[in-house]
Amino acid sequence: MFSLFYGLWKYLFSKMELHVLILGIDKAGKTTLLEKMKSVYSNIEGIPPDRIIPTVGLNIGRIEVANSKLVFWDLGGQPGLRSIWEKYYEEAHAVIFVVDASCPSRFEDAKSALEKVLRHEDLQGAPLLILANKQDIPEAVSADELPQYLDLKKLDERVFMFEAVSAYDGMGIRESAEWLVEVMERSKRTEMLRARAGAMGAGP
Amino acid sequence: MGAMISRFWFLLFPAKEYKIVVVGLDNAGKTTTLYKLHLGEVVTTNPTVGSNVEELVYKNIRFEVWDLGGQERLRTSWATYYRGTHAVIAVIDSSDRARISIIKDELFRLLGHEDLQHSVILVFANKQDIKDAMTPAEITDALSLHSIKDHDWHIQACCALSGEGLYDGLGWIAQRVTGKAPT
Repeated sequence: MFSLFYGLWKYLFSKMELHVLILGIDKAGKTTLLEKMKSVYSNIEGIPPDRIIPTVGLNIGRIEVANSKLVFWDLGGQPGLRSIWEKYYEEAHAVIFVVDASCPSRFEDAKSALEKVLRHEDLQGAPLLILANKQDIPEAVSADELPQYLDLKKLDERVFMFEAVSAYDGMGIRESAEWLVEVMERSKRTEMLRARAGAMGAGP
Repeated sequence: MGAMISRFWFLLFPAKEYKIVVVGLDNAGKTTTLYKLHLGEVVTTNPTVGSNVEELVYKNIRFEVWDLGGQERLRTSWATYYRGTHAVIAVIDSSDRARISIIKDELFRLLGHEDLQHSVILVFANKQDIKDAMTPAEITDALSLHSIKDHDWHIQACCALSGEGLYDGLGWIAQRVTGKAPT
């Protein structure tokens, strides 16, 4: 009986952690983005961009945005590592897909990687934030232009946004995080994951 | 003279020291890894009973590295070393396909320990010089590393005999535990 009430209490009042996947092909700037997020929202300096090494595994970042606890899962983007991505889908509330907007020669690779992500049923209904990163580089494609390069078909099925950012200097980081929190809080997927967590918490 | 000044400086301003525990099955190469990093050379080793501990200074970052005995009867005592640990290095014999499930069980038991809840995990896929050794991708699957969701983790191919990959792994730990990469 106690565990039932405790589960209900937790479900109603405790701050649930929202899991956000940071995906994208290698060298898109995923870890740099995570480190910048940490430095913007916590008083942690973060790893300088020129010192970041390729991710072969998982980097975790925890921040609080607008009274919500976010946990970021930053995964390696090299071709051989992308098979790991789907193992994290089921528990993800939202996805950030990072694109190096200064490198059009790799848009095709980014497009096919993202299409594969969007096709996966474990990510059904997950809000999607596509970041046109590296806006500090003059020749970077804008957030308005990027959709035509990626030419995505399945976007009408979910809440999504394209945002221009620079993980290097922090441009667009706050806007991105705040948009994410806002859409996650009213997402059906969050509701479903919250209910599942509540049910597990109230279990034997 | 320089060494004296350095020693005096550390007495006055002790640098933060980061604790690493090195685990793995017997014959995985834990002690060889420790002493290759510490001395830069391959030492003749005997099976570790208890532990070996050495201080490593890497790019101005001080690590206290505990190499723990890997024989079955010694694994139950690993937990006594966990308190205050910043990073765990799991050394895997990449040629030992028969026992990969055993180290997987040990790794997940270790990950559940409350003293390690803030530790980062480095997996050294050791003995890559051996023909038909498992690749890091195979080891990732065999160990189900993708089911780790509350610890930073990294897998690094290495060969403790040649030293290849060891400093890459240590660099990753340095980056993660200090919050910024070493200069």
